[in-house]
Amino acid sequence: MTGSPILSDGGAVKRALRLFLCKAVWLVAVILVGGLFGATLVRYGPGYGVDERELDPRLSQASVEALRGQHHQNASLLSYYGHYLKSAVHGDFGTSESTQRPISELIHQRLPVTARTVLLGMLSAWSLALFLAMLGQFLRGWIFEVCSTLLTGFLLALPSTVIALLFVYFRAPVFLAVACVTFPKLFRFIHNLLVEAYEQPHVLAARARGIGPVRIFLRHVLAFAAPALFALVGVSLSLAFGAAIPIEALTDSPGIGQLAWFAAINRDLPLVVNLTLLVTLVTVAGNSLADYSGQLAARAS
Amino acid sequence: MLRKLRLLGVLTVFGAAAAASAQAQSGGVLHFCLHGEPKTFNPILVDDEAAENVRYLTGGVLIRLNRQSQALEPGLATSWHISKDGRMIAFQLRKGLRFSDGTPFTSEDVAYTIKSLMDPQLHSPTGDSFRSGEGAVEILTPTPDTVSITFPAPVAGLERLFDQVAMMSAHSPKKEMAVLGPFYISDYKAGSYVELARNPNYWKHDAQGRALPYLDGIHLDIQRNRDIELLRFERGELQLINRLDAESYKRLSKDSSSTPRNAGTGLDSDFLWFNQSPNAPIADPRKSWFRTTEFRRAVSSAINREDISRIVFDGHAKPAMGPVSPANHFWFNSAIPAPKYDPQGALKLLAQAGFRFANDELRDKSGNRVEFTLVTNSGNAVREKMASMIQQDLSEIGIKVSIVTLDFPSLIERMTRTFDYDACLLGLVNTDLDPNGQMTVWLSSGENHQWNPGQKTPATAWEAELDKLMHEQATALADKDRKKAFDQAQQIIYEQQPYIYLVNRDVLTAFSPAVQGAAPTVLTPPAFWNADVLQLAASPQQGAHK
Amino acid sequence: MSAPKSLRLISAFLLCVIFLLALGANFIAPYSYAKQFRDAPAAAPSAAHLFGTDALGRDEFSRLLYGTRVSLLLAPAAALLSTLIAGILGGLAGFLGGWWERAILASADLLMALPLLFVLLALRATLPLDVAPLISAMATFLILSLLGWPSSLRVIWAAARNIRESDFLLLARSSGSSPLRIIARQILPNLRPVLAAQFWVNIPVFILAEATLSMLGLGVMEPLPSWGNLLRGLENPSAFHANPWTIAPLILLILVVFCFQFILPSREDFA
Repeated sequence: MTGSPILSDGGAVKRALRLFLCKAVWLVAVILVGGLFGATLVRYGPGYGVDERELDPRLSQASVEALRGQHHQNASLLSYYGHYLKSAVHGDFGTSESTQRPISELIHQRLPVTARTVLLGMLSAWSLALFLAMLGQFLRGWIFEVCSTLLTGFLLALPSTVIALLFVYFRAPVFLAVACVTFPKLFRFIHNLLVEAYEQPHVLAARARGIGPVRIFLRHVLAFAAPALFALVGVSLSLAFGAAIPIEALTDSPGIGQLAWFAAINRDLPLVVNLTLLVTLVTVAGNSLADYSGQLAARAS
Repeated sequence: MLRKLRLLGVLTVFGAAAAASAQAQSGGVLHFCLHGEPKTFNPILVDDEAAENVRYLTGGVLIRLNRQSQALEPGLATSWHISKDGRMIAFQLRKGLRFSDGTPFTSEDVAYTIKSLMDPQLHSPTGDSFRSGEGAVEILTPTPDTVSITFPAPVAGLERLFDQVAMMSAHSPKKEMAVLGPFYISDYKAGSYVELARNPNYWKHDAQGRALPYLDGIHLDIQRNRDIELLRFERGELQLINRLDAESYKRLSKDSSSTPRNAGTGLDSDFLWFNQSPNAPIADPRKSWFRTTEFRRAVSSAINREDISRIVFDGHAKPAMGPVSPANHFWFNSAIPAPKYDPQGALKLLAQAGFRFANDELRDKSGNRVEFTLVTNSGNAVREKMASMIQQDLSEIGIKVSIVTLDFPSLIERMTRTFDYDACLLGLVNTDLDPNGQMTVWLSSGENHQWNPGQKTPATAWEAELDKLMHEQATALADKDRKKAFDQAQQIIYEQQPYIYLVNRDVLTAFSPAVQGAAPTVLTPPAFWNADVLQLAASPQQGAHK
Repeated sequence: MSAPKSLRLISAFLLCVIFLLALGANFIAPYSYAKQFRDAPAAAPSAAHLFGTDALGRDEFSRLLYGTRVSLLLAPAAALLSTLIAGILGGLAGFLGGWWERAILASADLLMALPLLFVLLALRATLPLDVAPLISAMATFLILSLLGWPSSLRVIWAAARNIRESDFLLLARSSGSSPLRIIARQILPNLRPVLAAQFWVNIPVFILAEATLSMLGLGVMEPLPSWGNLLRGLENPSAFHANPWTIAPLILLILVVFCFQFILPSREDFA
């Protein structure tokens, strides 16, 4: 779908705005449903309302009962969720049940750690993947193919738990673990994309005419690959974020992943709801970014 | 009877410190790990291990239990006495003390702390252990350095409980962050670390009159993963491990550069029990097996505790038979026989109760195959190994055991709400030497009477007897009478095996060679109970750690 | 570009050997996987125990054989199922577009973001405690595949969308083929390489997910071994120092995944 040249600029802007609004409403709806699902799962899952402290023999009967009663304030899930959303709009995200600290504070403390891990992880994965994929185009040959297949295949075969353990063992920075998980997927995608780009008729023609490799790469190959690469940024964001959560929990990095694990084992309903919303937000936003930038780039080209 | 304690001239710990101080210098920051996020820094709300450790290092208490001698020593109070009826305790406070922020410490602060502690709305475990009867606590502060507290009913082992009560300031603007212990919290990053700095106003001095603590501070990394902790210790990033498992201990023993230390058999115990709750949704033949004393005793004697100790704990655990560890010098009942591995005896006991063993299978009177599931908490390698060994041991007497690991909340839900399990393998962390700390475990009405909790009336004659004995030991004023009653209680527990005790683990710790003055004990905290006299050797590379 | 033929043959041969060894575990394994040799816990490899013993004195070689059987039969089955689900949904989304596309993609995003731990916990709570190990293992892998498809969905959807816009599909459409026929005849065959790639990417994920599940009281329970719970031995670095063979399941896992990669067409089709 390309914009008609007859349409005035105002119309195009309006249409883009409407498209954007539609997307935004859909996004918010999906995220809210995600939060509700998360809340339902915790609330009706086993172990909700159970507190390890109940086993403390020093506690009196009354205190044990009070501990058990504490959670029943959230008895009706829908009203809880409605109430939560209402306060969330006013900037109050509730209080964690297990730590009694405001959730905004808990997330504020940890989000920068995770953001750093994810961004650095993405950056390293992207640089390495781009570099190797380009190298592959200049080094064409079966040796490179076999080596890269072996390397990425090896990394893909390594489950992220094992990668996390290795990083624990060698005490390497956590973001590199995230990079190890994202890199092979990125590399394979980019590599195949470049192979396809170089097989395009106009690239072949340009080469036949003896145009320099750098110019071909910048003028033709990049132009061909750009939309897909843009889309890949979004996908890789949700990929890296998805990898960071378990890796942080396993390596005890003080980010969102560790907090999520803590929330889950403590059945901390408000905390789980907030974290589910956050994770859904990043996942959905990452993927929408991919779709949107893909569409935009496709239109531009 | 008026019990009075004389102030000890020189505390025993200072002797060790003086010897060490010859080579070591003051200062330096000690690094070690907390194994979880401290849920609170408010000393009266503390109920998790990490927060308890922080409280121990920062809080000042009126009376301190010496972790090595197991005797009480004066802390912020120079002396105290308890009234004849056991309801009132009066303290003489040390004069001229100040909180870490400079606020003076007076009897008003003690009154404030106790009042806050006894607030029933707080549900503080520390506070609950003082609660002996209905009614309010009366606190009198006749002078700034005397205070008397009167409880509505006598509290057995009263003065010992004050070891857990860190004093808070009634006036300091810093609230609970103003402390009287050797260190104060100078920085905290959630999920990452707690930084403690030396409290310049700490009251203790060593034999030479030098102000304690020697260390400039303690850096506590929050580290759930014990493998990471061990790796970091081996690389010299940490100088102390408070609790070590047997496998890591073995690994460190091979490594000459570190010094793992075994403080001896600890108070904690691992045990399994069968679900005897009448509300349990488990099939009928199982319920009746679990209620049969011979069945429980047979299972107990068919478990090879020596093997568990040797294989799972690399020999660093002692086979256990009763609820009190021999490490608890006073309360341990030495008349209880040592555990014996005796599968033949087990089969005899089972035959007496009508079970038949044929073709490697055990069947009950009605011909049902004897099998049950054993649940335990997941992610605990030691317990999973114990379960596997029990599984093999019991298969020798024809019992089929399936092992199921559950995450803690699911497990607790089954134990306390749905009662949907056959048998459970868990451990009890024991911080209290006194049997009063276990009342809710042994009273049939107790919530921690795990095999059949919260009974309206005792389900069995022996549980009724146990109730009687536990009440007796709680109300008797003379230690001798209390001990006699609790010895009998231990005997009943041994005969009935509601909990099948397996082992008491050794308390294992590790120190880097740089740490001087270390004297690990079996009481918590084992490695840093004497943190105020610990020192770091003045080697340049130790100072560089951060 | 797919792997040279010889590599394919070698891979197929290796996979066959591993499968046969696993299937014949009963005859090949020198001991039962549960037998504890309590005199020789954590022993180094010897004539009696080829790969040494684990912390409880169980023969590692026998456990590896039996564990291979469980994991190697169930994980590919689960990967297949989840790839199929992703293939169908991704194909539909890519082909139909519009609201279908949005709904399917959103549900995949949701499923990826949800704390699935709780789904599994709820499952554990509804199952009785003493289910037979094999049933429990099968149920686990089934659940894994039912929950695991979203990770493959986007890749497949993107590929399907490309096909939708391709010339031959326009041709098929203009000639009046029914949508179902188009999916079956045009889209699915063209998606095959992508599906294959997703299939082998999923295998190690499922093998390890099973290990995580056994910690929740689901999956393969003691004393039955699986690669997942054998791999958990790696969590403890000292076990690896004592007996390097603890790493055998990981090597086997990587080898198997490699073999799958070479056998199945895969490379060209991420784009």
